[in-house]
Amino acid sequence: MQTKPDLTADVGEILLSEDEIQAKVAELGARISTDYAGKSLTLVSVLKGSLPFMADLMRAITIPVRIDLMEVSSYGGTATESSGLVRILKDLSASIAGEDVLIVEDIIDTGLTLNYLIRYLRGKNPATLRICTLLDKPARRLVDIPVDYRGFTIPDQFVVGYGLDYGEIYRNLRFVGVLRREVYAGGAEG
Amino acid sequence: MTDPLREIAPPFAHASEAEMARILDFYGIAWEYEPHTFPILWNLEGDVVESFSPDFFLADLDLYLEMTTLRQKLVRKKNRKLRRLRELYPDVHIKLFYARDFRALMLKYGKLALADALTGTAGQAGLPVAPAATEPMEPGLATAVIVLDAVGDGSAPPTSPSRPTAARRRRRRRAAASVPATTIRPDRSENP
Repeated sequence: MQTKPDLTADVGEILLSEDEIQAKVAELGARISTDYAGKSLTLVSVLKGSLPFMADLMRAITIPVRIDLMEVSSYGGTATESSGLVRILKDLSASIAGEDVLIVEDIIDTGLTLNYLIRYLRGKNPATLRICTLLDKPARRLVDIPVDYRGFTIPDQFVVGYGLDYGEIYRNLRFVGVLRREVYAGGAEG
Repeated sequence: MTDPLREIAPPFAHASEAEMARILDFYGIAWEYEPHTFPILWNLEGDVVESFSPDFFLADLDLYLEMTTLRQKLVRKKNRKLRRLRELYPDVHIKLFYARDFRALMLKYGKLALADALTGTAGQAGLPVAPAATEPMEPGLATAVIVLDAVGDGSAPPTSPSRPTAARRRRRRRAAASVPATTIRPDRSENP
């Protein structure tokens, strides 16, 4: 029988408190409001991890914005069979041609997913396409991504909370914390 | 663009490399497996005695990727080769992907158990050794650079009697007196 995760107890260390996150979101919102003043801004969030950040960031922005949501499949191949290609599970609901688009991400680590998204969205001919991420984990980077708005650079640790999950759990934590190793060690496979 | 339908099969020397190829395919990153070999050590006669063939070349990103999921001693040796490569070929962009990086990647994709199965010697493929390329070395182009292991990391010399893996055997063949299809040579002016 599987034990239910204890959300807070499973976190070994709080990396970013709720107050720190909210202060940073406010700061990013102010910068974006200034930079995009007088422009037609569309925020594109990538489900599911970016949801809390998107919800807070859009309310910290003081200029008119449109929002849209996308979801792409995540890699889940096995050792013996190919898992195919990344798929768009939810596409944009409106055209972004000629729009100033800001991709809102929860975290950038390898950059593989974002690299794919950037290429995909560029094909839709936005006027500009820039990146805003709450968390940046450069130690894991495979693809160099120019980040225009960065909340925090974090160390090379597995983090959960504020949208970030492990096995679809922990997204609703109000802070970002480091998941205890024993939670995922021992052959856990989600 | 990489053909998404091609099978992930040999010539991968390690299962983690095959898994990385699947990940790159998944995200539409074009890759080539060991397309280039970089000589990094020559003897007094100008013969290449050690070379480095990064596992992947991601042409669109102008990036080489070397997977190092084996034990620490081999990681040290690879680190030394990487340092040498960067000295001789400063314009080459290469990223070393350690076992911990691979493990973190698998954790992210919910495949941590798979990482344990694929890393280390357990993941080595018992593949037949690829035939050595036969293009002869051009003596005039091989700058005679004698590289002593100045960093003293204790790694085994190229003639180590330890049992070579298929990949190591293949790379040694490439390094010894013959050069693979595409061998990169350093700019003479950059040699010490």
